[in-house]
Order: sequence, then C-alpha cells, then structure tokens
Amino acid sequence: MTELYQALAQGLLIGATYGLLALGMGLVYGVSGVVNFSHGDFISLGMFMCLALYSAFAMDPYVSIIITVPLMTAIGALVYIFLIRPMVGHQFLMVVQLTLGLSLVLQNGILMVFGGEPARTPSFVESKLIILGDVVLRVPHIVAFVVSFALAIGLYIMLRSTDFGRSIRAVHQNAHAAALMGINVGRVQVLTFALGIGILALAAALLLPGTPIQPTQGLRYTVITLLVVVLGGMTNFVGIMLGGLIIGIAEAFGTIYLDGPIGLLLPYIIFVAIMLFLPKGLTWSSAR
Amino acid sequence: MREEFYKTLSSPIWWGALVIAAIMPFVLSSYYVHILTLALVYVALASSWNIVGGMAGQISLAHSLFIGIGSMFSAALLLKLGINMWFGLVISALISGILGAVIAWIDFRFQLGHLSFVLITLAFAEMGSIVVEGWDFLGGASGLLLPKDTGNFLAFQFGGGHGAFWMMLGLAAICVLVNVAILNSPLGYYLRTIRDNEKAAQAIGVNILRYKITAMVISAMLASVVGTAYVRYLTFADPYLLISPVITIEIVLFATVGGLGRAYGPALGALLLVPLGEILRGKLGSTLPGLHYFIYGIVVISVILVTPRGLLPLFERLWARWRGPAVAGKP
Repeated sequence: MTELYQALAQGLLIGATYGLLALGMGLVYGVSGVVNFSHGDFISLGMFMCLALYSAFAMDPYVSIIITVPLMTAIGALVYIFLIRPMVGHQFLMVVQLTLGLSLVLQNGILMVFGGEPARTPSFVESKLIILGDVVLRVPHIVAFVVSFALAIGLYIMLRSTDFGRSIRAVHQNAHAAALMGINVGRVQVLTFALGIGILALAAALLLPGTPIQPTQGLRYTVITLLVVVLGGMTNFVGIMLGGLIIGIAEAFGTIYLDGPIGLLLPYIIFVAIMLFLPKGLTWSSAR
Repeated sequence: MREEFYKTLSSPIWWGALVIAAIMPFVLSSYYVHILTLALVYVALASSWNIVGGMAGQISLAHSLFIGIGSMFSAALLLKLGINMWFGLVISALISGILGAVIAWIDFRFQLGHLSFVLITLAFAEMGSIVVEGWDFLGGASGLLLPKDTGNFLAFQFGGGHGAFWMMLGLAAICVLVNVAILNSPLGYYLRTIRDNEKAAQAIGVNILRYKITAMVISAMLASVVGTAYVRYLTFADPYLLISPVITIEIVLFATVGGLGRAYGPALGALLLVPLGEILRGKLGSTLPGLHYFIYGIVVISVILVTPRGLLPLFERLWARWRGPAVAGKP
C-alpha cells in the first residue's frame, strides 16, 4: 500500500507541473492554431538561464524567476512576431517544420554555450523532505504542485474575468468575429504566445531543483507536453490540468511498479490508447 | 504517365551525374568521400521519407523506427543469433513494412488529422527509442559493435571507404528513382490528391486506405534497407543516433529545405546541408559541439520564411529568369 500512496503522491505532484507546461501550449494553440514543437526547448532554455544566474550570482532558481520570466516573455513575443506570424495562414505543416528547426537551434545553442555535461542547479529546498506517514515527499515537488495549481487557477480567473482573458477567448472562438468586434487579433496572438513562453520560465524554475539538466532533454519535454495537451482536448483548461495529472501518475506508476523500459512506456501507451479511442481527448465536461 | 520515368532512365544527364559521382572516390581524399557517403545516406533517407511526408503530405516522425529496425535489429540478428546481414536486411525490411502498414492503418481507421498523425508517430518514435535503450538484445544504451568490414560481399561487407560509397550511391539513386517513378505513376497522383484534399479524394473514389498503406510500406522498407547499409558503414550501432527521433527531424528538415513532394527536392536538401554540417563539425566540432545542428536549424527557418516550398522551386524560378523569356515559348 505504501508504494501505491507514494506513486500516487509523486505522480500528482509532478503532474501538476506537467499540466502547467501544457496550459501554455494549449492557450497558444487555441488562439493561433500553432503547435510549438520547440516548447520543450524553451523549458530547457528557462532551466539553463536559471543555471547561468546561479553560477554567476549564486541566485536560487526560485529567485531568478524575476529575471527569467520577463526575459522569456520578451523572447516569446519576438519569436512569434518574426518567425511564426509570417507563417500563420500558410500551410499548418510548415509551422510544424519551422518550430522543429527552432528546436534544433535552441537545443544546440544551449549545447554550445553550456556544454553537454549534465548539470545541477542547487536550491535551498533541494534536499528537504516531508514525511507523511509512510510517504516521503520532496519539498521542491510540493512547491511545484502548489505554485502550478495557484498559477492555473490564476490563469483561469484571468481568462474568465479580465478584458485580456475575454479577448483571448473571443479570438479562440471566432477570430473573424473577434476582429469585427474591435479586438486586435494580432496583438492577442503575440501576447498569448509570449504568455505561454513566460509560463514556461516559471515551470522551468519549479522543475529545476534536484533535477539534472542536459541540452538534449528538450524533445522529451515537448513530447510530454504534447501528450498532456492532446489528452486534455487541446484547449480545454480543466482537461489539460487533468491530463497533466494522468501523465504524471502514469509515469510514477510506470517507474515504481514496472521494471525497465515498459515502465517508461506506460505514459505513451496510455496516450496512444486515449488518442485512438477518445480522439477529442478528455473533453466530456466542456467547461472551457 | 510512365513516359517521364523512362525518359529519366534514358536521360544522359542522369547517367552522367551518376558516373561523375561514381568516380569521385578516385578524385577526392578519404575524408571527403566519407562526407559524400554520409550525404548519400541522407539523400536516400530523405527521398524515402518524401514518399509519405512530401507526396502524401503526412509528416511522419516515425521513420526513426524503420531506420532503427533496419540498423539495430539486423545488427543484433548478426551478433546475437549469427544471422547473415543480407537476411537481416530482408527480415528488417519486412518488419518495417508491416509496422508501416499498421501505422497507416491506424491513421486511416481512426481518421487522424494531420496534427494527430504527427503526434502519434512522434509518440511511437519515442517508444521505440525507449525500448531499444532498455533491451539488451538490441544492444541497450551502449549499442552494438559490428565485426570489422573485410569486404566479404556475401556477409554484407563492402570493404569500407570506396565500397560503402558505391553502395550508398546505388541506394540513393534507387530511392530517388522510386520517387520519380511514383510521382509519374497513378499512385503519385492519388497521393497528391490525398495530400491536397482527402475528403474530395475519397469522394471521387480514391481508395485512401490502400494508397496510404502502399506509400507507407514502400517508404518504410526503403528507410529500413538504408538503415542496414548505414549501420554496416558506421560499424557501430549507436542507439542515440539511429533510433533517436532527432534523425527523423533531420530528414524532415532536409526534405523541407530542398522541396517537399518533389522527386529531387529532398536529395538537393541533403546534398547541400549534410556536407555543410559535416565540414563545420570537422572544423569546429571539438570547440563548439552542436554547431552544425544549430546551422541546420537557422537554414531551415530561413528557407521556410523566404521560400516555403523549398529551394528547388526557387532555383527553378531563378533558372527560368536567367534563361529569359525564350524558354517560356517552349512546350
């Protein structure tokens, strides 16, 4: 039983952050129909920025977000304006290839600057543990869980009841009608993309403590994010957070209960099954 | 329809280019022969991918599986079971073909859109690399080392260097020819109809399942065969190279840069980018690892922004302009 609780707790904690990673991608897809295959490499970028700040100023990852979030948001805006916007309206698949190219650039840019050795960024909470009965929880995971959910709820409220949030939803529902209502669709798309990348800077800091990082990890993060987004039905807010939890739990169960490669395969198997039999994802409750 | 294909087969330019390429090993140093061999590997891979990705418009990211089966599995058969690599090549190609058919069937049966197809194939590719890295029969994470290439043709050995170059030249030429043949056959027209409008294709009676499976099986088997030849050339079956989704991404990018869905586009992309990347890696690889991928990325992004249909159409336009309006009157 202990193992079960441990797996559940670990999966839930990490899954919330996966959900947060995916929210950014889901928002961008909803507003501009772009699926960003360099998503995971932007997470890498955020993590390595934290590492650089730590090596230069001994700054804790949780503190360095005051620098990385605005920086990444700005990078996101620039990427959208100069690279992705010229392609919107072209064939959808060209955007896929463009972001694949961007992923190579980011991944290897990081490799050239930081080298290929796995690196760690220490944090003051890194080795702290909380023990609840038989279940051992790492403090960074708890911080990540709480912050991820707080942010997700914050985003939800933002989408519900601010003007910016309403314009995002309007563009998502019908960009043409939104433009006729005086919403600057182009601006909303840029801001959403920037917001999506900015969220990644936060998520990167949350995932970082205790995790060894490598420049080549980006693709795996992209895949995990894609799994979650698709599970969540692409743009369904609640669905995406749920999808994050499911993938997180699947991963934890896979590594704890199943030996070797099959354990690592579990999230993908669940993904393919859901993809095939519930092609719309987990959108039974269409609370958007 | 077939005329175009036979015209290519009897074209002096084609054979001339092939002969000139074939005498390259006598002219160039072994370093450049190595670079050209690698370029030919990617010409063959990008051309085989083009059948599915370019002509049928389905961005398959699962091709690392077929390359991986062709390389890792046939290497494992040889080392663990002592099965001759020629048989390994055939067995791997058959397995790849079956797997390709299954993927195409899943795509059809579940009516995946373009995006879902990209995602599912990417998930399959990730699963493949996880399986190989965790399964000792296929060498696990440390890979497999093939016996030295002594030039014994019956054991699928080509004597390294020159022999491998000619082998790759032949394979690359076959892959490009298959592209020419398909583009000029009814299959090519069906595939392009499916790419441009699947519903309309279905409405006018194109058997979508049949042609999707045909395209995928041809593409998968070619990729697998190239994989076997590639691993024989490398001697070391490296899972992080051969079954990593990155190899598919490279192929997709070469094809995109050259010109998707064109017979010579992917070949052009690979012939331009691979030597560029390899020379950069040779010169700066020790000080700046990853630089060649970085450059690939930049080139791809620029090409997509400037000429989204690839370099081949751009060159054709420039050529036409240079030749002036005199050509316009010709049929």
